[in-house]
Amino acid sequence: MKSPLHLDLLKEEERLSSSPIRLRVLLPLITTFFLLCALLVWGLFEIQVLGKRKLMANVENAVKSVTPVHAAVLASRDQEKEMRAGVQQLSLYKHARNVFGPTLSIIAAQVPTNIQFTEMRIFPPQTASEPSRSVNPPPAPTNTLERVSLRIAGRTKGSRASESVNDLMAALQTAAFTNVFRSVSIPKGAFRLDTSRNQSALTANESLLFEITCECEPRRFE
Amino acid sequence: MNSSAFKVKFSPQSKPFSDVIGLEIGAGLTQGVPAVRLRKKDGKTELVAVGFLPLQDSLPLRFEEAPTPVPSWSLPKAFQAQYAALAVTSELALLRHAAGTDEEATDNKQLAYRTTTRSIAPDLPPLTARIPEFQARWAAGLLPEGRAPTACSLQVSSAAAINTFVTSSRFESLSGTAVVLFVFPQYTSLVAFHDFRLVLYREHNIGHSHIRDAISTHMRIDPSLTDSILEDTFIDSTPMIEPVLRTLYRQVEMSYDYLARRRNCQTQNFLICGLSSGLKYWTSIFNHTMNRTLAPFQPFDGIDVAPRATILVEDLTAATPLLMTALGAAQAVVEDT
Repeated sequence: MKSPLHLDLLKEEERLSSSPIRLRVLLPLITTFFLLCALLVWGLFEIQVLGKRKLMANVENAVKSVTPVHAAVLASRDQEKEMRAGVQQLSLYKHARNVFGPTLSIIAAQVPTNIQFTEMRIFPPQTASEPSRSVNPPPAPTNTLERVSLRIAGRTKGSRASESVNDLMAALQTAAFTNVFRSVSIPKGAFRLDTSRNQSALTANESLLFEITCECEPRRFE
Repeated sequence: MNSSAFKVKFSPQSKPFSDVIGLEIGAGLTQGVPAVRLRKKDGKTELVAVGFLPLQDSLPLRFEEAPTPVPSWSLPKAFQAQYAALAVTSELALLRHAAGTDEEATDNKQLAYRTTTRSIAPDLPPLTARIPEFQARWAAGLLPEGRAPTACSLQVSSAAAINTFVTSSRFESLSGTAVVLFVFPQYTSLVAFHDFRLVLYREHNIGHSHIRDAISTHMRIDPSLTDSILEDTFIDSTPMIEPVLRTLYRQVEMSYDYLARRRNCQTQNFLICGLSSGLKYWTSIFNHTMNRTLAPFQPFDGIDVAPRATILVEDLTAATPLLMTALGAAQAVVEDT
């Protein structure tokens, strides 16, 4: 029965560790180590941020110095684009040009003697929105196709007035004109008596007004 | 891992004390500080190192003398156990049965003490050990942290010495009531056991230094020569010693009567421990006075010596009285776990 008489007077705080690695020493060391690591990481991050800031400042300075030139270049490019578009428009107009000259020159030979032309007009192209045309018309056609029509207005008289008009229409539909006119027609109500003249002469020399619309080959802006 | 497990894992002393060195502080020996290193291996305690270490052992006797800072001890490699059990030998330290709270309170007013009490039995007053706070603090600071050994126990030397008997095989072999006299330089402590239980502790102010002084005075020789006189077979020192020892033995007789009458314990065995010389006088005078046999007890008996033990003393048996306290301090810790 070995039960020693151990009357211990040592206080708890006096019980020390013999290990050279002590928790109360190790903990501050580990804490310091992690703090230093964090500081190092933060320092590296700060250096990187400083580098980036410096780079950004350099880039901003470079951008500032280049901005006027860049603006000039952009303006030049816009101008160039505008000019190129103009040239393109011109080339489109050139390509879309309908040559009426030779055709119109031979119309006179086909007109019967009792017919007098009072008007020969090629109407400007009709756009979808009429109000906008008057305010700010586009600089160029927005469609690739543009309808073109020639209106011939005139008067005739005599006993063969209507036949003459029909002859003229038939002449305009011959091969000499079909390269320009796709169709020829008299709009409804466009062949009528000329009431503006002397009424008394109406019976003797009846004068008739007519209009012929010639649908031309469309202008192709291609 | 929860907090309590973490605390246990990293606490300074999380494992049982299996490797302990006992150090006696304040012995004031010219040889050095008594040191005994014990190790418990496979349930058996073995002696690893024993000797007197040349360390600064200037235990302050007054609060004003307590030096700051406390000297830092560094032990030889053979004595670097994991833990150290410190036994303080001081006139101001004491071990006794607690007499009452009033007395202790009066003492505490005069000097700050560090006190611990052990209840031995329900019908017995508890044992109280006390050391002045400044001495305890000084002793505990001798072994710094981070270097083996560090203090795991602080004991009063008289209490520590008792463990040499309590943990011995001799103690187990004795039945009934036994009285053991532990002889110290300045006093002799009487410890009575009944059925392996401590029933009485007394201190008497007669130690072996008083015997030396008596011989030295009578023969007018240097006290250092008295040991040879006591062992000399041609000189009978009985007339010089007997008056001193008779006083002591009267006290022992009173304790014997107390045990017989008040505790109903008939003492069959008387043992003595702590004598380096003059044992024959102590036993013969005891026999003459008490009409009983006083048998010697050797604390190191029954302790195995490790194969590579460091024994720094020439004659271990002769040095036993000086090493008794250190051994007991170490045993108190090793056998307590």
